[in-house]
Amino acid sequence: MTLELEYIGDTTIPVELQGVTPCRLRDLSLSEIEGMEIYHGKEIVSLADFFKISGDLSDEQMRLSGDLSGVHWIGSKMESGSIAIRGNCGRHLGSEMTSGTITVQGSASDWVGAEMRGGLIYIKGDAGHQVGAGYRGSSTGMNRGTILVHGDVGNELGLTMRRGLIAVGGKAGDLIGFNMRAGTIMLFGASGIRHGAAMRRGSIVFMGADHPPLLPSFKYSCRYQPEFMQLLLRNLQNLGFPVPTSVVDSTYDLHHGDMIDGGRGEVLLRVS
Amino acid sequence: MSKPYFKISGGYVYDPLNGVDGQVQDIWVQDGRIVPAPVAGIRADRTLDAAGYVVMPGGVDMHCHIAGPKVNMGRKMRPEEKRQGEVIPRTLTTHSGTLGSVPSTFATGFKYIGLGYTSAFDAAVPPLSARHAHEEFADTPAIDKGFYVLMGNNHFMMKSISEENPKQLKAFIAWLLGATKAYAPKLVNPGGVEVWKHHPAGNVDTIDQIVDHYEVTPRQIISEVARATNELGLPHPVHIHCNNLGMPGNWSTTLNTMDALNGFKGHLTHIQFHSYGGGEGSEESFCSKTTELADYINTHDNLTVDVGQVMFGKTTSMTGDGPLGYFLHNVYGGKWLSVDTEMESGCGIAPIEYRNKSLVHALQWAIGLEWYLLVEDPWRVVMSTDHPNGGSFMAYPQIIRLLMDATYRNDVLRSVHPDVMSRCVLGDIDREYTLNEICIITRAGPAKILGLKHKGHLGVGADADITIYSPHENKEVMFEMPRYVIKSGEILIDECELKQQTFGKTFNVAPAYDVEVEADIADWFEQYYSVQFRNYPISDDYVHDSELVDCHEKES
Repeated sequence: MTLELEYIGDTTIPVELQGVTPCRLRDLSLSEIEGMEIYHGKEIVSLADFFKISGDLSDEQMRLSGDLSGVHWIGSKMESGSIAIRGNCGRHLGSEMTSGTITVQGSASDWVGAEMRGGLIYIKGDAGHQVGAGYRGSSTGMNRGTILVHGDVGNELGLTMRRGLIAVGGKAGDLIGFNMRAGTIMLFGASGIRHGAAMRRGSIVFMGADHPPLLPSFKYSCRYQPEFMQLLLRNLQNLGFPVPTSVVDSTYDLHHGDMIDGGRGEVLLRVS
Repeated sequence: MSKPYFKISGGYVYDPLNGVDGQVQDIWVQDGRIVPAPVAGIRADRTLDAAGYVVMPGGVDMHCHIAGPKVNMGRKMRPEEKRQGEVIPRTLTTHSGTLGSVPSTFATGFKYIGLGYTSAFDAAVPPLSARHAHEEFADTPAIDKGFYVLMGNNHFMMKSISEENPKQLKAFIAWLLGATKAYAPKLVNPGGVEVWKHHPAGNVDTIDQIVDHYEVTPRQIISEVARATNELGLPHPVHIHCNNLGMPGNWSTTLNTMDALNGFKGHLTHIQFHSYGGGEGSEESFCSKTTELADYINTHDNLTVDVGQVMFGKTTSMTGDGPLGYFLHNVYGGKWLSVDTEMESGCGIAPIEYRNKSLVHALQWAIGLEWYLLVEDPWRVVMSTDHPNGGSFMAYPQIIRLLMDATYRNDVLRSVHPDVMSRCVLGDIDREYTLNEICIITRAGPAKILGLKHKGHLGVGADADITIYSPHENKEVMFEMPRYVIKSGEILIDECELKQQTFGKTFNVAPAYDVEVEADIADWFEQYYSVQFRNYPISDDYVHDSELVDCHEKES
């Protein structure tokens, strides 16, 4: 059975759900779950003050519904199970999660999957800035796991990313893969500027027709048809991500950079 | 109807200024101040039973770096510390904060009050950035604050000395203190920072070296500023960071600086960093010269010092001594920030790690402890780590244990670099501080040196800043977590927990001066500054809850 959390809050002050994850709630009774302490601004309140709760976690599944755009840290540090969000949600969705699945039917705000270490985040709408990023002061961002966003995202996608896969179906802002250490970022829409700045390794793949301007510290290498891209795109299709079959066998221009930081990163621009 | 009385009853009271050394006494508080016991029949509205506890005045940190642009840059330069460091969570009554070697403003206030310190003074604020320092003070809770304003490399000051115009110099210093709402004048590497601005890797080697353009020497700056500030009758006339900080052989510069004061009152800060023997850049001959310097202090009562104790671990060096920042960056590599504050001062920031197996670092640690133990009069030596330069103020309880427990001190000494023993006298000293002496070097002494008549003691009229400790054999345990801390009569720490958030006041001075000097200063601003003269001074209404401390001008 699924644990249902229906948001009944009416507040403009942030509500924070740190610790409200299937693995943490699994062994608690319904009344204990209702009494869980969460933050409403600086006040500590009970989970039941903001959510109508029913069901149980026997199959480690949680479902949240309502306008959760002011509810933050959903699924942060999650270790197992699944969370399904029917509407929009706030910042830090799935941050530092290590396993499990989070699906969002609507859109999420900034810091989706920040410093995540495993698991899958699947967003059907848009996401904000710093998806899969490292928090300020951290040496690594996302380090394993998968983030799929059907819509658009903001700036600093994959900031200091270390491992894992991020795929974005729509547009992105500036500085994709800024300070990237490794991992793979794929973008199907248009984007801003200064992508791959200070990247050391990893791959940023631009699948769209409009190629962004690259920094002068990136160097053209060759035009080729890498087999791993076919595998990657088919994997995305298998996960339900909308990849047109026509692009699976594409050809790419390969650029290496950032030359100011070793130049072992790669930017692929799909050409046909 | 009289205001309510608050009574702290039956504690072992340590109040060295008033000759109380552990006697059981009651303390009465009314309206934030200590008052005489009321007449018989009047009962306290609230009583705190302190029986069995140690009662001291609130601590006074007279030299730390907790506000202003360099502190803020130290925070911004090291975000990794913020990410990895301890977080102080928000509560219903208190703000959140972050630690690391340069804590956030709120964390700074909470950690000081949590240690039983109720006042702290930032030791180096450029005049142009004074407004920023006041703004940060307004966000630093729990403690009273003040800052020393940098003037050891100020161009107008050097011009006045160069033109042999002591009247103008004195008026300018008074104007600058009032304009910036500062508490005391600070000299940092006088003249040396200006030389650094003129030459690659520049600095002065001695206090008799000529400073470019103004043709003055550090000795002239020290002597003339000391004369002027003593004549102004400032509560803390001059706070001196000597030239050649950290350099082998710098002890002679320090001795010359003491001599250059010509008998005027002066405070030499983080003296540990200025007490080194040895040849230039030579680790082979690096040694302690504390004995010689402490002898000079012991025989010259115009001088006081704070130590600048080094503690092992990672920290951030931040200083108005621009060339020092460059030197540290060259030694340790890593991040470095250098700032030129136009017409006034410089700044250097670099991360640093003190390692107990490093000869230099271990000797610095030992030299700091020697200073506490070799100055005979505890009223003239003050506990400091030059936070965060030598270590965090949060290390004070560790230092107290090292001073009160010679066995422990010698155990630690044996664990550091083995060559330290032969290069200093720390291993030969068996002195142990008493609680009364600890009370002097952490609160009564610094309050007296700062000229704060209502701080550092528990006599009638004093601010009701009181710290109550649970006695413990291990003095580090005793001092790291006071049972109660009372600030201005309010209990902020209750049963070791922070219960409420208040904001202390800011101390400043505004000595009288000949207003005719303002025309000269305005003309100087018009010619050289990027700031309009009329926009420079900080108005009274800009400073939150300030207290003006009196100056007593003397005849020149």
